[in-house]
Amino acid sequence: MFPLAVLVPLAPALAFIVIGLGGERLKRLESGGWIAVAAAFVALAVSLLVAWAELATPGHFSDSSYTWLSIRTTAAPFPSGLSLVMGVLVDPISALMLIVVNVVGAMVMLYSIGYMHHDKGLPRYYAELSLFLTAMNGLVLSDNLLEFFLFWELVGVCSYFLIGFYYERPSAASAAKEAFLVTRVGDVLFLLGIFIYFATFATSGGGAGWAASGFKFASGSVPFLPPHASTPLLTVAGLMMLAGAAGKSAQFPLDVWLPDAMEGPTTVSALIHAATMVAAGVYLLVVVSVFIGFTPDDQLAIVAVGGFTTFWAATMAVVQTDIKRVVAFSTVSQLGYMVLAVGAGFSMVGLYHLFTHAFFKALLFLAAGSVIHAVGTQDLLKMGGLKKQMPVTRWAFIIGGLSLAGFPLFSGFFSKDDILGSVVTAAQSHPMYWPFVALAFAGTFLTGYYIFRAYFLAFEGDQPRDSSLPHAHEGPWVMQLPLIVLSGLALLAGYLIFSPAFDSLFIQIPGTALHLPPTYGTFDLELSALSVALGLSGIGVAYALWGNGRVFTWAADSPVQPLRTLLLQRYYVKHGVDWLGRRVIYTGARAADFVERFIIDGTIHGFERSFAALSDRMRRVQTGVVSDYAAYVVAGVVGLLVLLMYLAPWIVAALGGS
Amino acid sequence: MTSLPPVDFLALSGALLAIGIFGILTRRNFILLLISVEIAINAAILNFVVFGAYAGTPAGVSGQAAAIVLIGLAATEVAVGLAIVLALNRARGSINVAEATQLKL
Repeated sequence: MFPLAVLVPLAPALAFIVIGLGGERLKRLESGGWIAVAAAFVALAVSLLVAWAELATPGHFSDSSYTWLSIRTTAAPFPSGLSLVMGVLVDPISALMLIVVNVVGAMVMLYSIGYMHHDKGLPRYYAELSLFLTAMNGLVLSDNLLEFFLFWELVGVCSYFLIGFYYERPSAASAAKEAFLVTRVGDVLFLLGIFIYFATFATSGGGAGWAASGFKFASGSVPFLPPHASTPLLTVAGLMMLAGAAGKSAQFPLDVWLPDAMEGPTTVSALIHAATMVAAGVYLLVVVSVFIGFTPDDQLAIVAVGGFTTFWAATMAVVQTDIKRVVAFSTVSQLGYMVLAVGAGFSMVGLYHLFTHAFFKALLFLAAGSVIHAVGTQDLLKMGGLKKQMPVTRWAFIIGGLSLAGFPLFSGFFSKDDILGSVVTAAQSHPMYWPFVALAFAGTFLTGYYIFRAYFLAFEGDQPRDSSLPHAHEGPWVMQLPLIVLSGLALLAGYLIFSPAFDSLFIQIPGTALHLPPTYGTFDLELSALSVALGLSGIGVAYALWGNGRVFTWAADSPVQPLRTLLLQRYYVKHGVDWLGRRVIYTGARAADFVERFIIDGTIHGFERSFAALSDRMRRVQTGVVSDYAAYVVAGVVGLLVLLMYLAPWIVAALGGS
Repeated sequence: MTSLPPVDFLALSGALLAIGIFGILTRRNFILLLISVEIAINAAILNFVVFGAYAGTPAGVSGQAAAIVLIGLAATEVAVGLAIVLALNRARGSINVAEATQLKL
């Protein structure tokens, strides 16, 4: 049976092949750009169909898979055999993700036609972006851990390609490498976690069935974790999952790559580093929490990482002068909110924020891209007064910013306040969560501040601060349409929570033992008022310092300067890692190299040389002189005779004593 | 024949063997080397004959029989050796054993 959902990753894959092979010859089609756009819209249409069908029938999911390797064995740890499958799982969670990925994907693809029009290497761009869409859709639809990991890696590879799109720039090449290596750290730990799950679940009762069915998420035989079970090994596995998610979703301490990833085109940042790839980490945590389960220790760790990152990234966003970096740090911070929610046990609430965040963050990135496209710079301090010249972009940015700050009735308001209410509820039964909840609230204030600081710097005022900037005007319709669509979604997507479609997320699917979180989480009016107040005061402070074209600077000798430097240097994390690498790891490497080359290899070479010397000596026996050889024969015979004489009694006895 | 103790004949045989081995080890002329080999073989044949004689009939006949066979064998061996001498002479122009030192690595 061919599930319709397979078309969703398939369409961009075909685009990838076509553009990759023949893109240069398609100048009229924007070097393959329109093919990519067409594929993205086909994927969008199919995914909306599939998602609608799925969400409209609560308590239902469909899973079709193809076993590509089946090993019949009775050996531990797979006493019922092992199957490896490639499958498509359409359940309410993946249906929601399909909508996110493909709406943002289609909008970004369309926008790229205008934004990237003057760039070189366009076939490469559209091919890689299509491949990314394929991989991301494959990840969302995958039905088992191994397939998930495969697409996870593929998504990381595409991210590497796209960040390093302007590969001739050393900073871009370096950023691409950094992104890949940092996420690799998470990926290795993620793989270890998968192995731990395989080993522990396969050997426990019933787990063998899970291995034999291919480790599928929605298999009826996953030995799910009872709510309060906690074994050390499973806790470690959960931490490994967190490590993988932290790498992909740029949570502390693996967040260093995301701000540097802004070296790539803004459209790449919008799609990959705002809405989709970085969401994969949160998606992983949601899937594991629902289908496998986290131990209480894991949950505390996840809450800690998420809450801390929220605040950590927000502090760094307030001093950035590059418009893209402000939004990048904002992404890290908002991902922290999602991770926090999942850790507290409200994975569906975290997923909901992922849903709304994708739209308004992509909107903010595309609006920033529109600005960059118009004025040719990313430096906020040079911009100003754009509200007159770019009204569509201006309102897009405002809508995105208000949504981000959680202004009432915008989509971000519903999801963010849902998270805050839920984690407060969770903290009441887990007092260890309180510090991280507090950090999340503090982050709300900073969020309102930094995003509107960016808005005021770019759009308010009468004219640009740098007068050499070209006169700005809106981009072509292909750039404005996505802005308008995403603005609409940023306004309205939040209201979907009131639709019956969302009920599907919380209904037990028969035949599986899902760890469904309690309902929608808590929406507490007082807490909501607090968070709105925090956000508004952040906006207010931003207006006071930066509104109407003002530029606020601290005095050069102000005690705040060291703090500013600390933030601008991103807490010297990278300096610390560099130091660690140069001093500690390099020294260790030199020591290991010494041991390898002089001690281990030296021993082997020593053996070689002694054998060579020995054989050299032995060679000299062959003098070539015939009499010498005759002498050897004689000596041998004499020796044999002497030996026989001594052994004579035993020989005689052996022969029967005759 | 049986009046002399066999050890006398065996001593003669041993002396012949010693002479033969000495010759093998020290002679430089290839033909003299072959003659030395022949002497050593004949020492062994003499051994067979002596033991055959002192064993008496009917077992002692095998000593004589062995002697005949071994003389034939010696002749064969000399034939092969002379063939080698001829080949060596053709290749080198001399039959000095000390000069044929190529059988080495």
